[in-house]
Order: sequence, then C-alpha cells, then structure tokens
Amino acid sequence: MSEFKFVISALMFGALALASGTTSAQERDHLEVVTTVQKEITVETDDGSQETRLVAAESVVPGERVVYTIKFRNVGQEPAENVVITNPIAQTLTYVAGSAAGADLEVEFSVDGGQSFARAEQLRVVDNGIERPATTIDYTHVRWVMQSELAVGSEGQAQFAAVLE
Amino acid sequence: MHLTTRAYKAPRVIAGIIASLLPLIAGAAGTPAGTVIENQAVVNFELAGTPLTRSSNVTSLRVAERIDVVASLQSPQLLAAAGDADRALLFTITNTGNGTESYGLAIDNTVGGDDFDPVAAVPAIYFDSDASGDLTAADQPYTAGVNDPVLAADASVDIFLVNSIPVSAANGEIGRTQLTVSSLTGVGAAGTVYAGSGEGGVDAVNGSSTGQALAVGEYIVSDIQLNVVKTQIISDPFGGTEPVPGATITYTITIEVVGSGTATGATFRDEIPTYSSYLADSISLNGGALSDLADADAGEYDTTAVPSIVMRLGDLTLADGVQTIEFQVSID
Repeated sequence: MSEFKFVISALMFGALALASGTTSAQERDHLEVVTTVQKEITVETDDGSQETRLVAAESVVPGERVVYTIKFRNVGQEPAENVVITNPIAQTLTYVAGSAAGADLEVEFSVDGGQSFARAEQLRVVDNGIERPATTIDYTHVRWVMQSELAVGSEGQAQFAAVLE
Repeated sequence: MHLTTRAYKAPRVIAGIIASLLPLIAGAAGTPAGTVIENQAVVNFELAGTPLTRSSNVTSLRVAERIDVVASLQSPQLLAAAGDADRALLFTITNTGNGTESYGLAIDNTVGGDDFDPVAAVPAIYFDSDASGDLTAADQPYTAGVNDPVLAADASVDIFLVNSIPVSAANGEIGRTQLTVSSLTGVGAAGTVYAGSGEGGVDAVNGSSTGQALAVGEYIVSDIQLNVVKTQIISDPFGGTEPVPGATITYTITIEVVGSGTATGATFRDEIPTYSSYLADSISLNGGALSDLADADAGEYDTTAVPSIVMRLGDLTLADGVQTIEFQVSID
C-alpha cells in the first residue's frame, strides 16, 4: 500500500515539474525567431513584361534563387542588447553578392565555418597555399550585428539570397 | 597516318551547332535531385548583461529534378558515295540535369537546308556498345520503349545514326540527318513541373533545354575516293632485313585517286614511329627530293608536335595519277 502511494506521488511530482518547466520557459522566452524560405520566380504580367516574384519554396532546382528571411521580435520585459543573428549558408547554396540586408543591421560573413566573421571586403582565404580575397562561394555563414538595442515589443528582419548550385 | 581533304564546302553548320551547345554543357548537373537543405538561424543577445541564445524554426527545401539534356555530333562531315549503305554518324547524349533520366531517341532525315535526304537504315539507331567510335557488329540497335537509354546526372552515352545514300545523290551534294533526344518524364517549356515524377519521387522540372535535344549530322557525296597504301622496307647494318637498332626503314606511301571530282587541299601526315628517328633530307614526292623545312615545296618534317612528315598534295583529280611519297627513319 505504501509502495503504491509512493508511485502516485512520484508521478504527481513529475507532472508538476514538467508544468513548472514549461511555465518558466515561457517566462524566459524573450525573443521569438522565425525563419522562412521563398524562391524567386519570373512571371509574365498581363502587359507582357516579365516580373520577378517571391513565392513559398518547398522544392527548388539547380540555378534557382532562394531568399531566406529571419524575423525576430522582443517578446520579453527588457530590451535586448548586442543582438546578433547568425545563419549558416548550406554547402549547396552560393550566397548572392550584396543580398544580405536588414534595417539597423551590419552584415558580416564567415569563411571558416562560423569561427570568425568580418565584412565581405576584409575576408581572405588560402587556396592551394596562396592567399586571395574571399568570394561568395567561400562563405559558410552570414550574420547581422544589430547596431542598437531591440526594445521591448519591437521587431526586426534579416534577409539574404542564395542560388542553388 | 592521316589523310585529310577539304571537300567542296566547309562544314560551318556543324561548327555552329557545337559552339551553341557549349553554354548548356557548362551549366550542367548541380546539386543532386532529392537533396534536402535545412536552415536554422540563431540569435545571440544580452539581457541586462546576461548572454542568451535563441534558435529559429528549421526550414526545409527539397531539391527537385531539373530535366536537361544535350546531344552533340562527334563525327566530322562524312564523305560518302552515292549508293553507300550503312554510313554511321556518331553522337553523344549527355544528361546535364541533376537526376537520373530516361530518354527516347528518334531520327529525322527531312531536315531542311540540304540537297538530299539520307535514307534511314533499319534499324537506324545503334548504341556504340563497344565504345569503338565505329559502327561494329558488337553495337546493339536501339528500340524505343525497350532499351531507352537511362542516364545518371552528368552521365553520357554514344549512339550512331545509320543511313544509306540514295543512288540519285550527285557529287558535292549534302544530306542531313537529325537526332532527337526526348526526356521520357516530359518535354515542355522551361519551368514545366511534373509532380512526383523526378528521381526518388521528387518533382521534376524542365530546364532550359526543355527536356529535348537535337543534333544534326551531315553526309557529303564525293564521287572521288583516295586509296592510300603504305609499305616498308627494312635494311639492317649487316646487309639483312632485321629491324635492329641502326637499321633503316624506307616507307613508301601511294595515294591513288579513284572516281570523278576534285579532292581539294589534300594533306598527308604521318607520324614518325616511336623508337625511331627521321633521317634528314629523306622525303621525296614522286621521285623528286624535297627539303625538310616548311617552305615553298610540298613536303616538310614537322617537329612542332609529334614529329611527322607532312605532304601538301593540293587539289587531286584522277588525271593526277598515283602520288608516291617516300621517307626514311632509323631504328634507335
């Protein structure tokens, strides 16, 4: 009998622990981050001219251009400081020069798997023992460094485009 | 030993076709169909000096199959005589898409811009099964729906179009034969989607080639034929005929014009065999000695690439009779 009670109390304790864990996670969830991916398609408009549109992408073929958008919002109670958004560039994707953007964000890249970052013109790689300026093919990561704090309730958006090899 | 003639018309059309294919070849293949590309962003930030990290959701992209194919003519413009049977032109088909694809093949001899229609053999399409580059008994005929070529991304296959030349074709006339290669998933404008029909069940999409490739080959009727025969006589330092070091080999090449017409700009080239050296000042044409230098006379010893004897025979007709070229080498 006493053994049975112990099991029940243990279960209850577990359930309580789980519930409190969830609650505290919500409390600590100061920043919401949502990523979407779209691709560019060229459509012919009624007047016969060509227009580029972004549509939701589930499948792509080599040569197509995809656009990643990262939206972030401060859902906490305090301003967030030193906000840095980092996104890897998949090996099969080539970053499109000049495509990374975002209001109040400074863009940097990595050519060493995210170990270090610098502005595009400062990046160099060693190729067969010879140092040369990095090109977009060398980029492994892109990151955006926010230049001011992200106030409570405010949101931002970072974006970049890449071509499927 | 190699004999070339510039007969009648330069094959400009063929050169144009090959050049126009190059950009397509350069854009080949790419990320394999079925590849999944996931993406997750990470945000680092500080709250009152405490560093925190948040990750985004994970987006997922699946690489669809892009259907692209290139067909290219490998043979030069083929010299043929009126009435010739089973004359084969070699083509290469390359899958420039990013997934495995099956293709249907077809021959069309009614293409325009030529003087006569070659007559398709039965069967008219063969695989170069033994990879010899020539139509041989080992080569398997193609039957639509039975042995349609299946090519992985970037893979290629060589095939022949086989035709006979009508007896009515006149000297100097050109006949064209066209190979059509069509994706069995679908042929359509770039961007046409075939849901779930790609490799491994991904979507397939027509690329810039529209899933179809054409290549045209040409026959040119030449009543003239050049028969070339090469003989050798060995003379060793001991008065015998053994091919030992120090022995001299005298090569005699006869070129005989058969039939009517003119072989324009006939050039004969013969590489000096390995383990032997050309004997200076030993070239002659029809018994007249020629210098080794590239100068006004018809012959020279050319060392710019593989050491060779070159003889520019000019325009040859039946009236010129047998041309006899001689030169000597010594065995090293």
